Amino acid sequence: MFNDTVLKEIEGIKAKYPDRRSALLPSLYIAQREFGWLSREAMTCVARSLNLPEAVVRGTASFYSMYKHKPAGRHVIQLCTNISCMILGAGKLVDFLETRYGVPANGTSGDGRFSLVIMECIGACGTAPAMLVNTDFYDNLSEKRIEEILENYK
Amino acid sequence: MIEITIDDRKLSVEKGITILEAARRNGIKIPNLCFDKRLRPYGGCRMCVVEIEGGRKLASACGHPAREGMVIKTNSPRVRRVRQSVLEFLLVHHPLDCPECDKAGECALQDLVFEYGVPETRFTGERKHAQPDVRGPLIELISNRCILCAKCVRICSQYQGRGALGLIGRGFPTVVQPAFGEVLECDYCGQCIDICPTGALISKPYKYKARPWFLEEKENICSFCGVGCTLTLGIREGRILRSKGREGAGINDGNLCGRGRFGFDYIYSENRLRTPLIKEGDEFRDASWEEALTYVARSLSSIRDAHGPNSIGAIGSPRCTVEDNYMLAKFMRAGLGSGNIASSEAFGYAGALRAFSLSFGIGSNPADLASPLGRDVILVLESDPTITHPVFGLNILRAKREGSRLLVADYRETKLTRHSNTWLQLRPGTLVALLNGMMNVIMDRGLFDRDRVSGIRGFSSLEAVVKEYTPAMVSEITGLTGEAVTDAAVTFANAPRRLVIMPLAVSENNKGPGSALAAANLLILLGEEPSSLQVPAEYCNTYGMLEAGIMPRGGGMDVFDMLYKPGHLRALYIMGEDPLVSMPDSRKIKNTLRSLDFLVVQDIVMTEAAELANVVLPASSWGEKEGHFINAGGLRQRIRKVVEATGKSQPDWQILRNLGLAMGINLGAKSFQDITKEADDFIAGGRREAEGAPRPAFHPVAYEPEEPCDSEFTYTLVTRDVLQHSGNMSTRSEALKLVQAEAFLEINEKDAERHAISDESHIKITSRRGAVYLRAKVTDAVPEGVVSTPVHFPSGGINELTHFSGNTCSRLDAVKIERVK
Ligand code: SF4
Ligand code: SF4
Ligand code: SF4
Ligand code: FES
Ligand code: FES
Repeated sequence: MFNDTVLKEIEGIKAKYPDRRSALLPSLYIAQREFGWLSREAMTCVARSLNLPEAVVRGTASFYSMYKHKPAGRHVIQLCTNISCMILGAGKLVDFLETRYGVPANGTSGDGRFSLVIMECIGACGTAPAMLVNTDFYDNLSEKRIEEILENYK
Repeated sequence: MIEITIDDRKLSVEKGITILEAARRNGIKIPNLCFDKRLRPYGGCRMCVVEIEGGRKLASACGHPAREGMVIKTNSPRVRRVRQSVLEFLLVHHPLDCPECDKAGECALQDLVFEYGVPETRFTGERKHAQPDVRGPLIELISNRCILCAKCVRICSQYQGRGALGLIGRGFPTVVQPAFGEVLECDYCGQCIDICPTGALISKPYKYKARPWFLEEKENICSFCGVGCTLTLGIREGRILRSKGREGAGINDGNLCGRGRFGFDYIYSENRLRTPLIKEGDEFRDASWEEALTYVARSLSSIRDAHGPNSIGAIGSPRCTVEDNYMLAKFMRAGLGSGNIASSEAFGYAGALRAFSLSFGIGSNPADLASPLGRDVILVLESDPTITHPVFGLNILRAKREGSRLLVADYRETKLTRHSNTWLQLRPGTLVALLNGMMNVIMDRGLFDRDRVSGIRGFSSLEAVVKEYTPAMVSEITGLTGEAVTDAAVTFANAPRRLVIMPLAVSENNKGPGSALAAANLLILLGEEPSSLQVPAEYCNTYGMLEAGIMPRGGGMDVFDMLYKPGHLRALYIMGEDPLVSMPDSRKIKNTLRSLDFLVVQDIVMTEAAELANVVLPASSWGEKEGHFINAGGLRQRIRKVVEATGKSQPDWQILRNLGLAMGINLGAKSFQDITKEADDFIAGGRREAEGAPRPAFHPVAYEPEEPCDSEFTYTLVTRDVLQHSGNMSTRSEALKLVQAEAFLEINEKDAERHAISDESHIKITSRRGAVYLRAKVTDAVPEGVVSTPVHFPSGGINELTHFSGNTCSRLDAVKIERVK
């Protein structure tokens, strides 16, 4: 079960809506943050704390592909490879991430440190290539800059 | 009201309803696949598209509100084209396995494709290839046939309050299943089967049994609980193969619980009696009706002549028809001259009747199944109507959804406690203390109209009694906090429209007639009418049985004297009841039955009591005879003969009439019409007598603990009903047995750990009266120190442990638990 701080956080979300179902999506994000991905246990915890049937929770969670349905690394890198980023070398960055950190595209590094998700355009074409690490945004990427950035994500 | 035009018809419809609803109410059909009037609009299938004049796009009628002046076309060429495309898309994925699908012939998808013509397929695509889930006991999930309308998911969570099913995944690979693909464990109401427009959810017992076009459909009233739902039975070659709800039919309007849907097959139990039996030595032998009735007639006559009519007693049945019970009462009163006529309801509904009469001065108080709707606060007392009266329970859930506050006082977690605003988890059997405590708060804070109420008889004694029940004292008894008691009282008293619901079940030992009195006190204190006290009668004909005269009158003995005190009776006639299973302290009853000179049992199956009888008479069951049931709401409903009687069995009333003739007593009733008319007049007479304005009075009840635990017997045993069963007849249903075939004992996880008990462990439960062996069900639904078991199962023998006493608050039993190595 969630610890008290998390429960309080979820209570806070619940309080915002007349229907506790409305708190489901944000609560799933919290569960994902706590468990790293939406494991069965994570979803059961959400079901309990919102007093919703598990089938409703899993049914909703499984609809959204942007939740993590598989275990992920401690940090999730979402790298864009759409046109602007591609032209400015995102493809090479994908290779770099694999050789330097052992994290394959749409996979997780052996040490569990990083997962890499290949993204469609994240709206930073003007400063491409761009990526998100967890919820932090970075642009104007190069191999060197990536190295510097990832230093902060152990 | 607003004016709209649908297909050139000018209509005046209620403001705010959808186009689909407006059309439905005026008999205009708009095809749909994801609409159901019980559910919120979903807009998932797009079959219901219509053209609105002036609108650019087509609108889905199920979610689009009708507006003043709208001109709607439901069947224009454009609309038909779109619908045909919708079907085309569905058929890209939907397997065309109609030849082996149970639904074929009554499938909404099939029917629509037929109506709109098979679409020319412009697409080819993969069909789904999920494995059907055949693991559950009653319901098969065949995701390949699912068209993702989500009706099943929605009825289960929105309406049934259960939420056992989900549509898991997104797009093409979506499957209908429980959350994590585990075996479906749920209420087994089967509402999802009825609502599914395709063959994706099917009933296992009915699978491959018949093509629907070969079924003859006949309606009948359910033979289980007091709700009295209308079942639509599918019959083929003289056998009932399935039971469904049908929108618009009966008070249930399409809803059913699992008992009504799956439980009817008890009439095909192997145990059915086919011929009269006479005991010779220790064995029964087959006998003809003539021989058996002559024997019974001679024996009863000689006992009456030797010991007087009062040495003979009879027990009626809440499962038999009005006519059957009326005839039994007439046979006893007019025929033999004995008033010793009773029933198991002495332990259940009779307590409610007593409360209605003492507290409100009325003879009856029929339940209103729609009563929960529109109340501001609903207080449910140590009961779970979603189990005892499932379709009534749906209305409680609905009221909650529509804004009523739901307060549930119960020792255990139930579906209702999960849906409640406040769960008052009190210790079992302490309801009277809670109610007194609420009255204490209400008086203390002046939350009632003293001027109006203080003139009511018994007010000062009520005041004197409840004065002691301060929140602090009540907290000590019930285990609730003082604030919880105070809050409940204040919430309840301040609500303008209030309701109390508390079915009194024969089998439960945690609340007695005293709790009904205490609830009545609370309501009268707040100026409420009797209709705010809902105590629905338990079984299909509990209400009708009592109205037909199955009650001790004119100095007649009640079951307490008849069955628990050997020597009071010489002969007993039991019709459609097994006191050894349904009534407490069965050892005592067994002694009494053994002490009789003569015991007749008339039933549809061999029962524990029948084993002890001198003569056993085979009765025709529900479905094999005509008659009437009166439901908990006092509604008299016709039950019909839909299949032939088993063996030589006869309707109960007919057996009694023939027995009368064998004794030289003419009880009239040449035909079914005669007896119906006579019973009807009798009941109408009774109802006229009971008429009159309520005369309220307070009858304060003090809380009395019952059989407290001590150092040896450390657990409190609570007996209760489970959803899949109703009385013990349902335990003869093969389908329901697939869900719950034997008794079990629920025990809290922590207690289980203490005794090294795990799920399914064999345990021995001992009370001061006896011991039985059961399997454990480890759960957090019951609190520590409390164990709970259903009494429905004859083999469980639970009533060897239980007792009854003069305590009107409860008849709880203290037990000890041991693991059997
Ligand atoms: S049978 Fe009833 S409870 Fe079970 S899944 Fe279907 S609707 Fe839900
Ligand atoms: S199983 Fe039936 S009711 Fe449920 S979503 Fe599929 S088609 Fe609809
Ligand atoms: S058992 Fe009661 S609720 Fe269930 S179908 Fe029968 S009458 Fe209806
Ligand atoms: S293409 Fe990469 S951010 Fe837009
Ligand atoms: S019935 Fe309207 S969209 Fe399905």
